[in-house]
Amino acid sequence: MNSQLFRASLFVAALLALPTQASDLKNVNEIVAKTNLGAFYAGKDISAQARMKITDNQGRVQIRQFNVLRKDIEDGGDQQFLISFSRPSDVKGMTFRVEKHVNTNDDRWLYLPALDLVKRISSSDKRTSFVGSNFYYEDISGRNITLDKFELVNTTPTSYILKATPIDPMSVEFSHYTVTIDKQMMLPMSIIYTDKRGNEYRKIEALKVVNIDGFNTVTSSKVTDLANNASTLMQFRGIKYDNNIPGSVFSERSLRNPPKKWFK
Amino acid sequence: MKPSLSNNLANLLTSISINSPRAIYLAVALLAAFMLIQLPKVDIDTDPENMLRADNPARLFHNQVKQQFNLYDAIVLGVVHSDGIYNPTSLAITKQLSDYVMNLDGVVHSEVIAPSLVDNIENRGAGELSFSWLMPSAPKNQQQSAQVQRAIERLPLLHNTMASGDGKAIAVYIPLVDKDNSYQIAEQLRQFTKTLAQDHQYYITGLPVAENQFGFEMFVQMAISAPLAGAMIFLMLWLFLRQSVVVMGAMLIAMSTVIITMGSLIGAGFSVHILSSMIAIFLMPIAVVDAIHVLSEFKEKLQHNKAIQQNTDHRDIIREVIADLFQPMLFTTLTSAVGFLSLMLTPIPPVKVFGGFVALGIFLAFILTMTLLPAYLSRLSPKTIAQLAGGEDASLSLLYRLLKTLSALSQNHYNKVIAALTLFTLFGIIGIGQIVINDNPVRWFKADHQISIADKALNQHFAGTYNAYLVLEHTSDSKTNHKTVSAIYDAATALALPLEATQDIDAATLLTQLDDLSFEVQLSPQQSEFVNQAIAKLSNIAQQKNSFYQPQQLAYIDQLAQHLRQTDQVGKVNALSDVVRTVNRELISGRNDDYTIPHTHDGVAQVLLQYQSSHRPNDLMHFVTPQRDATLLWLQLKDGDNQTMQAVISATDAYIAKHPLPSGISYKWAGKAYINVVWQQAMVAGMAESLAGAFVFVLLMMIALFKSIRYGLLAMLPLTITIIGIYGLIGWIGKDYDMPIAVLSSLTLGLSVDFAIHFIERYRQLRRLGHDITSALSQMFNEPARAISRNALVIAFGFTPLLFAPLVPYVTVGLFLASIMLISAVVTLTLIPAVVTFSHPKKELS
Repeated sequence: MNSQLFRASLFVAALLALPTQASDLKNVNEIVAKTNLGAFYAGKDISAQARMKITDNQGRVQIRQFNVLRKDIEDGGDQQFLISFSRPSDVKGMTFRVEKHVNTNDDRWLYLPALDLVKRISSSDKRTSFVGSNFYYEDISGRNITLDKFELVNTTPTSYILKATPIDPMSVEFSHYTVTIDKQMMLPMSIIYTDKRGNEYRKIEALKVVNIDGFNTVTSSKVTDLANNASTLMQFRGIKYDNNIPGSVFSERSLRNPPKKWFK
Repeated sequence: MKPSLSNNLANLLTSISINSPRAIYLAVALLAAFMLIQLPKVDIDTDPENMLRADNPARLFHNQVKQQFNLYDAIVLGVVHSDGIYNPTSLAITKQLSDYVMNLDGVVHSEVIAPSLVDNIENRGAGELSFSWLMPSAPKNQQQSAQVQRAIERLPLLHNTMASGDGKAIAVYIPLVDKDNSYQIAEQLRQFTKTLAQDHQYYITGLPVAENQFGFEMFVQMAISAPLAGAMIFLMLWLFLRQSVVVMGAMLIAMSTVIITMGSLIGAGFSVHILSSMIAIFLMPIAVVDAIHVLSEFKEKLQHNKAIQQNTDHRDIIREVIADLFQPMLFTTLTSAVGFLSLMLTPIPPVKVFGGFVALGIFLAFILTMTLLPAYLSRLSPKTIAQLAGGEDASLSLLYRLLKTLSALSQNHYNKVIAALTLFTLFGIIGIGQIVINDNPVRWFKADHQISIADKALNQHFAGTYNAYLVLEHTSDSKTNHKTVSAIYDAATALALPLEATQDIDAATLLTQLDDLSFEVQLSPQQSEFVNQAIAKLSNIAQQKNSFYQPQQLAYIDQLAQHLRQTDQVGKVNALSDVVRTVNRELISGRNDDYTIPHTHDGVAQVLLQYQSSHRPNDLMHFVTPQRDATLLWLQLKDGDNQTMQAVISATDAYIAKHPLPSGISYKWAGKAYINVVWQQAMVAGMAESLAGAFVFVLLMMIALFKSIRYGLLAMLPLTITIIGIYGLIGWIGKDYDMPIAVLSSLTLGLSVDFAIHFIERYRQLRRLGHDITSALSQMFNEPARAISRNALVIAFGFTPLLFAPLVPYVTVGLFLASIMLISAVVTLTLIPAVVTFSHPKKELS
């Protein structure tokens, strides 16, 4: 479909949707499922360049820049990722390969060019820092929606407000989180985490959403550590959907030899 | 005698006081009441850091380092189980503790170190690297407990820091948002540990707790020791005067002085530092000494009049007494005040405040003695006056006999007296040579205090709970690539890239700006290509230069750390090189032969990025800045003695002198242990200067007072011998020269010159009245000597309650006061007569 035409028709659809509050979704699982697809499964595949600007509590900045490729095996199901770093220049060529599984643990591999070393990475949980940023690995790959119990706590003219409570509270550091989902775009616009003492301590916000190739895409998001005011800003550029990236690109071979065609 | 200015002033004061005692009462009562309501505003400050000015370079650097490397003042909570800590029960206790800590306010939760809160990085074999919580929940069996032990022992940063090398103890490090809350948080922890299994021992230590707890207990001591000392002084005075009402006069002076001085200190907005808390204890003896002189002479005169059956109005006697004493007391006041005012010359803010306000108190005590005391005495009932004029009591006659013996001794055997005191002085000088300058806030508590016990226990099990930080920094000019950078800047401007206009831009800033453009602005293909190239160039410049990720620099750090580990005083060193080695080992094979540093800068960067991909990404920032231009070696010391720190500094200096740092790198110290050394050095030097300054000033005053160089020098002799004797004694018994001891030198100077002034002044009065030397000296051993010895005894015994305080500085002050009083009294009463006798040819004596 011509993307401009698509955008126009979407705009019309949005206008039409506005006054009809009756179209509000009531089923929380439906909201969650739709949002999960919108946020993490847009298109069949994606290629993009990303930059993280990590600002610590003293305002000191570190940069991480990487190319990312994603291919969906199945919408809402397993996915493949290839992430290759270009900056800082001393980690240039460092590459992650991830086979994300919905029903089992993800498979993750890492290549370190300076040591010419490929490693399989395992982790007790997915709430470890993504390359030293304030984003967790899970924030990037998408937290499995079966891990939390969701409640629709409020529906405003523009948003659904959901409260998510972990099914296994021991496995995470939060007691619950609150997601604000934009009704039109079905994208999470903010997620606020509350710790076990009842304090809000972490916030993820979508700062900029752009419609690309017909998909509403968050091109700028920010996670803030509310306790010490450190934050990470993640920005995307050069986003392309539905590139028909072949599955072979997500193979072990690509760790050592990043596919130039897809990584500009 | 012709009426002098001081006589006139004395007469005026006494007239007012005696004629309108109520006005005096009212004035003092109003002033005291006003100052009393200032007291609740008290702001306690026990932070030794405040011994340095806020803009002191070492202090600024210390705080900069704390910020730069995200370091916090921490409480260390240790759990010890003598049968070993790696079992399900003990580990469950540590889990309970860390869970509790994570629920406490005032704690920096993300930085707490405990088995359940740190990461394990582990090579699982078969090319697998695993990140996991070290102990997500308490182990269920012995096998799992042993796994925890194995994991810890493989992680050099945790081994011997979080868990003891002997496997018997685990420490939870609790970083504090504000160190001023450490006592309160420590108390909460103490309460909580009472609910845990009591077959384990729980210890709380760390300098912040010691300092903060000292503040709390100091407050308690101010409320216990000072009143107890007051009660004891009352008792001693009563033994001499036998009239409670009269004794109350002296107490009134002391209490008013203390209240008004402390009130004005607090009211003026100064915080009460460890030293200032002792102002009450310093002022009490000084105020009492003034009052005793007046009371003593008053009683003597009453007795004398009664003996010669002369019936003088007691108000006239008060006038006489004040007229006699005004001048010598003004001088003792001035000399004591000079001793303390000299403290204001030191570079240490709390010492300045202390010196200034003690001096204020001394003047106040004098004014009150000259006004309030006469007013008080003038209102005594005739019955009390009659009783006061009553006979000698037993204790006095004993004292009288003792003084007679002393008098005979000092005149008949003056050679031996002088020889003995010379020997004593020599003994003192040798002792001073052995003085050890040292301090340690933990030693401000007695050995049986819970803080001291915990300190000892934890430092026995662990590598050390005292922290010093050795910071290495790149100092070389970051503008070495200025040409390249400005060329890129010019090219960017030519391409109309919207850069913020700064001509003198550095590589890092330009990089950030270009980087932002590349993600935030729609660029033309030409611009985009330029920006990408420029970013690549600039990031190479910014990255490789001045980076502690360079393997050669890491190797230097590694060797320096190795060397310091072999220094006796150092329990453990944690350095960036240890982090690199550990992660490198686990990444590659998990075997010890991979416990190495990668050969390239990029290799190091890639290894460390994995360390940052943990649950605690910020842990790396304790060892290196994000810009990698500064790194820190964390030294754990077994004790907080300044001498220990000093030895470590010397060892480091020596190593670096022998193995120069790579060029462009400088080193500096931070950490509490180091800050304590800095202020103590300032203190010792400052004290020596102020003591020397005060000594010269007092000597000049003595010469002016006696209008004679000879008498001036004579007056300085007793205090010189007393100071040398007391500090010599400290050297001999091996007591560390610490903060309280340093400050006490000014008290010694001020108090011990008093006796000499009174003695010489009265002796010269007697000589002017026509007594020859022998007769004058004999007379001296009546009332004047009795007043001096009464004073000495009252103060020496009055402060014995301080000896029972749980805080060492209070004990020190108590012992010091007693020594100053007794030594300077004995020296004054023996040396001055001996020297006077010695310096006059035999024929003059008769």
